[in-house]
Amino acid sequence: MLTRDRQPRSDRALPTFITLVVLGILLMTFHVRLEGGGVVDVLRSGTQAIVSPVQRGVSYVVNPIADAVEGLGDIAGIREENRALKAALEESQAQLIAVEDQLARLQLFEALYGLDELESDLGRTVANVIGRPDPFDAALIIDRGSIHGIAVGQPVIDTNGFVVGSVSSVTPFSSTVVPITGRREGLAVLVGSQIGNLASQAGSSEMRLEIGDAKEPVLAGARVLTSARSVLFPAGLPVGEVVSDAGLATAAVSTTVRPYVEVDTLRIVVVLAWPTDPNSASGEDEIQTEVTTTTLGETTTTGDGTATTEGG
Amino acid sequence: MRVRTPAAVFLIILVAVVLQSTLFGRIRLITPDLVLLVAILIALTRIKPELVLAIAFSAGLVVDLLGSSLLGLRAIVFMSAAYIAVRTRERADIGRIATALWAGGLTLIGVVVLVLLGTLFGQSMILGEHVLSRLITVPLANMLVAFLIAPVLVRTVDQDPAAFRY
Repeated sequence: MLTRDRQPRSDRALPTFITLVVLGILLMTFHVRLEGGGVVDVLRSGTQAIVSPVQRGVSYVVNPIADAVEGLGDIAGIREENRALKAALEESQAQLIAVEDQLARLQLFEALYGLDELESDLGRTVANVIGRPDPFDAALIIDRGSIHGIAVGQPVIDTNGFVVGSVSSVTPFSSTVVPITGRREGLAVLVGSQIGNLASQAGSSEMRLEIGDAKEPVLAGARVLTSARSVLFPAGLPVGEVVSDAGLATAAVSTTVRPYVEVDTLRIVVVLAWPTDPNSASGEDEIQTEVTTTTLGETTTTGDGTATTEGG
Repeated sequence: MRVRTPAAVFLIILVAVVLQSTLFGRIRLITPDLVLLVAILIALTRIKPELVLAIAFSAGLVVDLLGSSLLGLRAIVFMSAAYIAVRTRERADIGRIATALWAGGLTLIGVVVLVLLGTLFGQSMILGEHVLSRLITVPLANMLVAFLIAPVLVRTVDQDPAAFRY
């Protein structure tokens, strides 16, 4: 057996251990009491500002290595995925033909009635995911920060427009994004015409949907969108789809929702400069019976041809 | 402790933090917890035990500050793992395999404590989709990395080329 001439086992190890445990508990209490703001926020931003330039530099070097390792790990599933993608492509091509036909008709009607397309006026910042802090932390570190116009609280979507999460902290050159599946607080969402609360579940990628005052059952496959009541996201962004039917046994309906975004696979995200006017960050979803036009950042529900609601 | 030792420890922790948050932050298949591993392996050096605990606490605090969860959570977890490491380090002196098994075991203790504390403090970020699989894969990955780097790390920190030559 090999023995080393280390420092003798000190009697001060246990008092040091106890002192540091107490210090750690004090820090946690301090953090909870400050709700992550104040000194904690300054410390966090300061540390991230120091480390982020190194992270950015290293990520350019290690990203190809990570891609190669990920590729090796995925080889087993690639053949199966290829087969599924071929089937999906054929289906999509058939749908594309149908959509092109509808698009042509839409353009004709727009020209006839002189309608202008609604444009989203939200600023967008495309960012690369450069990593995550820890194997047990679902947060994402992105390579865009305050000098690129990113601020704490801004919503983050993926390249398909699906909700990812929101920015939790910002340094000049990087930001941390907390996914919706890692949030402690719920998220106000819209399912059909009903407003519910979407919350994360421990140990699961699926989320729990609760509708307190349900008027109709929720069916599997129903799209879940962000609600205008949300102060965190613009209305109308797709979040996920309902996994299983939920009947109307009582006034409250509860079911699970599978988010569209798989956070682990994200490489590029888009940060939205929202709210453009912080005072308008919440509103009401007014669902009426006629035409509902949803564009990114705005849900405009019209009845009798007049705009009634603007989310965000 | 020699003059160059603090610089070596600082650099090792910085490298661990940066590699953890970039390279291993991208690989989903199997990923170690490098910073926790460094906090454990520092116990094998000639650094005073109370300093080992302070280093482990600081390393955990840096990871807390870089992440989005509760400040102090990993600081306590890493320091607790380092405390057990200080108390049991003689068991790791037998050889490389023993060192790897010892580091893997301590990592398992560390991540279990992290998940338990995270549950107590309502940290949904920690209790994500893959939490159970990571409770197994992270200690296994740390075991492998410890097998590869433990002697080099001890020699670098202690500046003793003869250290851990079995």
